[in-house]
Amino acid sequence: MAHQAHAYHMVDPSPWPLTGAVAALLMTSGLAIWMHFHTMTLMTLGMILLLLTMYQWWRDIIREGTFQGHHTPPVQKGLRYGMILFITSEVFFFLGFFWAFYHSSLAPTPELGGCWPPTGITTLDPFEVPLLNTAVLLASGVTVTWAHHSIMEGLRKQAIQSLALTILLGFYFTFLQGMEYYEAPFTIADGVYGSTFFVATGFHGLHVIIGSTFLAVCLLRQVQYHFTSEHHFGFEAAAWYWHFVDVVWLFLYISIYWWGS
Amino acid sequence: GVVYSAARALVCSLCPHVGVTLLLLCCFQALQQVARRTIYSSARRQVDNKVPLKQKAFQEDNGMPVHLKGGSVDALLYRTTMALTILGAGYVVYELVKAAYPQKKD
Repeated sequence: MAHQAHAYHMVDPSPWPLTGAVAALLMTSGLAIWMHFHTMTLMTLGMILLLLTMYQWWRDIIREGTFQGHHTPPVQKGLRYGMILFITSEVFFFLGFFWAFYHSSLAPTPELGGCWPPTGITTLDPFEVPLLNTAVLLASGVTVTWAHHSIMEGLRKQAIQSLALTILLGFYFTFLQGMEYYEAPFTIADGVYGSTFFVATGFHGLHVIIGSTFLAVCLLRQVQYHFTSEHHFGFEAAAWYWHFVDVVWLFLYISIYWWGS
Repeated sequence: GVVYSAARALVCSLCPHVGVTLLLLCCFQALQQVARRTIYSSARRQVDNKVPLKQKAFQEDNGMPVHLKGGSVDALLYRTTMALTILGAGYVVYELVKAAYPQKKD
């Protein structure tokens, strides 16, 4: 067996970048075909392929890091840079939707009644469910930090409990937000108010679901003894992502729910 | 009992919608029953640390790439994924060519 004289990770050839790229092609073309010809086959096939790719690619990364020991300190540093850069790109993604909101709300057009909220829009009370949602996400930020300290101190049961609680809080947020969407007196079609509200909060909700899933995978890994007190980068990446989701909510709450009401 | 009443009070204060509160309470009752059963069984059944076993298996010098090193399930999953990839690529070319040359009805 050839032994490397460096600490970096030269990965085995992998089919997942190809299958992932084809999945992206199928989903985007499928979306266009669905819009024009009302058949969902291509798009659905793309989504199945995407799920298969994600499962196998991330399974392989866990094998390479936890079972094969390839995630040395320099490799881990690269992974940290990668996660930070990815989160930064997501910050810019949300920045666009905040730009759209402020563009329309700081100088409301005559068509809206020259005011914000626009004439005819009944906004949600920021001190009811939205405030509860804020408390839920802030609490989940505390529990995920508790989980991190538990992992670092080698407290297995506490780590499992605090991580599970974080995920439950995430599910509770999603449930409450779902109820709010159902009960809201306005829809996405209600002018620029509806568009900015549901696109910004909708993408945020999607990120809460993604973050909860990431944390759930970490919970499974913690139960299976994958994390050590010194090395648990997968969990740290999930925690960073979760804090990012929390901060985006705070900006949404202040801008759209509170100032915009 | 007491736990149920306390939970009901907590849930009612947390959820503003009565219908959903009732649904949650039903789920909570079911969860309580499952938890009672699981607590006894978890005292006997613990998750074992299989990481050293996995480390040995995945560090075996058999020349297999990491995406196939787990065994026959890996191969099955890989073949299914690749089949869908090739089929999907063909299908998308077909659909796009069809969309590009619409058949006009006379």
